[in-house]
Amino acid sequence: MTENKNRCVITGLGMICAIGNSVDETWENALKGTCGIKEVKSVSSEGCYANLAAEVDCDELDNLPKADEMDRASKLCVKAAGEAIEDAKIDLSKDNATRVSVIMGSCVGGVVSVEDYYANGKPAANIPKMPISAIANQVAEIYGAGGVVTNIGNACAAGTISVGYACDLIRQGVSDVVLAGGSDAFASVPYAGFLSLSALDTNPCAPFNHCHGITLGEGSGVLVVESYEHALARGAKIYCEVLGSGVTTDAHHITAPREDGMCQMIAINRAIEHSGLDVSDIGYVNAHGTGTAKNDNAEFLSLHTIFDDKNDNLSVSSTKAMVGHCLGAAGAIEAVFSVKALTENEIPATIGYNDEDLEVLKEKAGKIDFMPNDSKKKELTNVMSNSFAFGGNNASIIFSKKAGDVKAPVNNEKLLITGAGIVSTVGNTVEDYISAVKENIAPESESVTSEVGSEDFKALDVKMAFYRKLDKFSQLQAVSGIAAIKNAKLEVTEDNAADIGIVVGTADGPLTTVCNFQMDLTEKGNSAGSAFKFPNTVYNAAGGYLSINSGIKGYNVTVTNGTQSGLQGIAYAMQILRQDRAKVMLATGTDENSEVMTEFYEKLSLVGKDASEAYIDESGFTLSDGSTSMVIETESSAKERGAEVLAEVAGFGMAHKSVSFGKLSGSGEALDEAIRLACKDADIELSDIDGIVGFGGGLAAIDKLELDSYRRVFDEVKPVIAIKNITGEGRAATATLQAVHAALTLSGKLGDEQTAYEVTCDSVEKKTVNTSAMKNLLVTSYGAGGSYTALIVRK
Amino acid sequence: MNEEQIAAKIKELLIENLGIDEDVLTDEIPLFEDEIGLDSIDSLEIIAAIDETFGVSMTGVGKEPFYNVASLTAYVAENM
Repeated sequence: MTENKNRCVITGLGMICAIGNSVDETWENALKGTCGIKEVKSVSSEGCYANLAAEVDCDELDNLPKADEMDRASKLCVKAAGEAIEDAKIDLSKDNATRVSVIMGSCVGGVVSVEDYYANGKPAANIPKMPISAIANQVAEIYGAGGVVTNIGNACAAGTISVGYACDLIRQGVSDVVLAGGSDAFASVPYAGFLSLSALDTNPCAPFNHCHGITLGEGSGVLVVESYEHALARGAKIYCEVLGSGVTTDAHHITAPREDGMCQMIAINRAIEHSGLDVSDIGYVNAHGTGTAKNDNAEFLSLHTIFDDKNDNLSVSSTKAMVGHCLGAAGAIEAVFSVKALTENEIPATIGYNDEDLEVLKEKAGKIDFMPNDSKKKELTNVMSNSFAFGGNNASIIFSKKAGDVKAPVNNEKLLITGAGIVSTVGNTVEDYISAVKENIAPESESVTSEVGSEDFKALDVKMAFYRKLDKFSQLQAVSGIAAIKNAKLEVTEDNAADIGIVVGTADGPLTTVCNFQMDLTEKGNSAGSAFKFPNTVYNAAGGYLSINSGIKGYNVTVTNGTQSGLQGIAYAMQILRQDRAKVMLATGTDENSEVMTEFYEKLSLVGKDASEAYIDESGFTLSDGSTSMVIETESSAKERGAEVLAEVAGFGMAHKSVSFGKLSGSGEALDEAIRLACKDADIELSDIDGIVGFGGGLAAIDKLELDSYRRVFDEVKPVIAIKNITGEGRAATATLQAVHAALTLSGKLGDEQTAYEVTCDSVEKKTVNTSAMKNLLVTSYGAGGSYTALIVRK
Repeated sequence: MNEEQIAAKIKELLIENLGIDEDVLTDEIPLFEDEIGLDSIDSLEIIAAIDETFGVSMTGVGKEPFYNVASLTAYVAENM
């Protein structure tokens, strides 16, 4: 049986979607087979071949606290989170704040605010509402959470991955309580995008039935995931256990699933195996069931291949026929449906079958009960929820009435950095970066960009047929990722592909492409979406392309919460390795600068008047972009393949102190906490830290907060290396680069001396420091809204 | 618009909308084979661009006219 310390339970549920503004209302309507799909109301459908959607009808959203600072996606999430917290009867203020985390999934984030920005004279107030990052921050701010705060940007699998990650955090001892879920609002970007792909059904979607396309929905699902011991101690009502999960990537196509279902099946089988269950133990699967022929055929194949002859008592349904495809919220909403089905012993149906359809279904269903039209009572013990996404992401999770036998192996091996790829404003190779550091090269102006193009891809043996599809965000990621794999001399083979994973960190993701896509719609209408651009509007496209090119088939997760996402990605990769769920991980940070991004950051008064110097200049940072990828693997894996080791990633710490999203001042204590947690995780004292690779970049509010934290935390003066003087503020790309910089420093590749800033109680002095004897370097980063990650890199 | 002008415009659309490198795109190179590697999503984009630029609908048209720039040009010239 699962050890108590590894047990994760659900103690609260919240949801909002087209068929209800609460769990009770939604559940009652779901059992009745209510269809929430109607004619599109909130956006124009003029000239569009399909005009249906499952929109939320709720007049309370604008009465939520801080409603005027939030996009509709955040409002939906805050509403569902409030219900879940109330349901769990948990007083989050009673907990040590750093033990409470928020993990939210989303596909398109604040696209309602993007549309409004271009339609209504570009108000600056809309800008902080646009990135996915805002969602978890706003939930954390309103309900109080000070642990790991981040978002999962894996499109339609995001909600499921969020719940899986919540359990990882609990089983790793990082959190006691996690608000996990997902949210997406119906808006022109997804509507026009799926229209452009001819992927919308003209009738209400009919999963596993007519399969003519999807109908979009919107909403949010939030689950209070709690450690069993914490729930027990506070006498909480426990709905069920969350057992294992499986996450894989297809390495196949950016929008279509593999026809052979191979990686879906690996994800499903891993979830079952991770849970300590057998295929025959699953009573109900809440399927992805989108209603496209490609998805449903692959899913039919996967389900039949896994369950036929091994499980004669399986029920499967797709609730999307009632609530539409809620994208990043889908997995979360379906997790709530799954928990309700399990605990109420009643399964909602897939609605929409006529007599003729039922005859066809009989042929396709075999012994699996696909639950056409009518919900039914059934005694359930274990239920599964599956989500598959653009980018080829697959996620499967299991809920149970029993504790299961969750394998939570702890791999205590050292985690080693064995390769890196750097795309930055100073060039697209590690050697370019090393030269720039040695020569102290500074950016030429306050807004600079990295250049990637056909020469970079040719140098990496990548064909035009692949790279022509990528927007700049994905190109940056592809070049640094492929270069890191080559730099690490890592061979991805059929045998090891599913044991290698990717975590991409990004602050703003493909927001430039989202805005360019929206600008076309604003000008030409929702029927004019580009089928070529749309697949690149999802945050996980960059990770998806990287898996397609590299053949990596294990984890593929995109985390997004501001600049520090680059370090959060490394922390997530470390957790996957420590749980023995991969042998090698690629942790990356990527962000793009563009006309759109420069406009946004200038409107928010964050960009300096010229290229800025950290800790000295005050007017703003130098906005830039790039991508950094780092190969991390267990010591045994590195030894086995004779890899060159740059350094060890020894520990991480993540903490959050809420301030309004878009702000930072007042949240510095969370940086203190992240540093302490990182030292604890690396099993070192604060005094063992020899230097810091800091995040300052020339904006007084950020730089002062950072240095004040070091003044509070450390008794002695530590040299702070400021790499943003070289590459500018490339957000997540620079955060990951800070960690690679630390590794290059400790490996001796940057020479014996570097420029650094020594911080005393009242001054900052620029000096040349000798780095040759340094053993432990601290790497720090920040996210607007008050999130911080600290990392210890060791020689 | 003569065929030469149509071909030039089609190339411009393919380079701009589908990220094809200019130096590779001849009139004859097959669009849906290895080097350029267009797929079904790209064909949707071509249909939309040709409709918008030339007022020629290619919805439901078979594969042949999509073979290369020359065959697209011939189809557009014939149906404009």
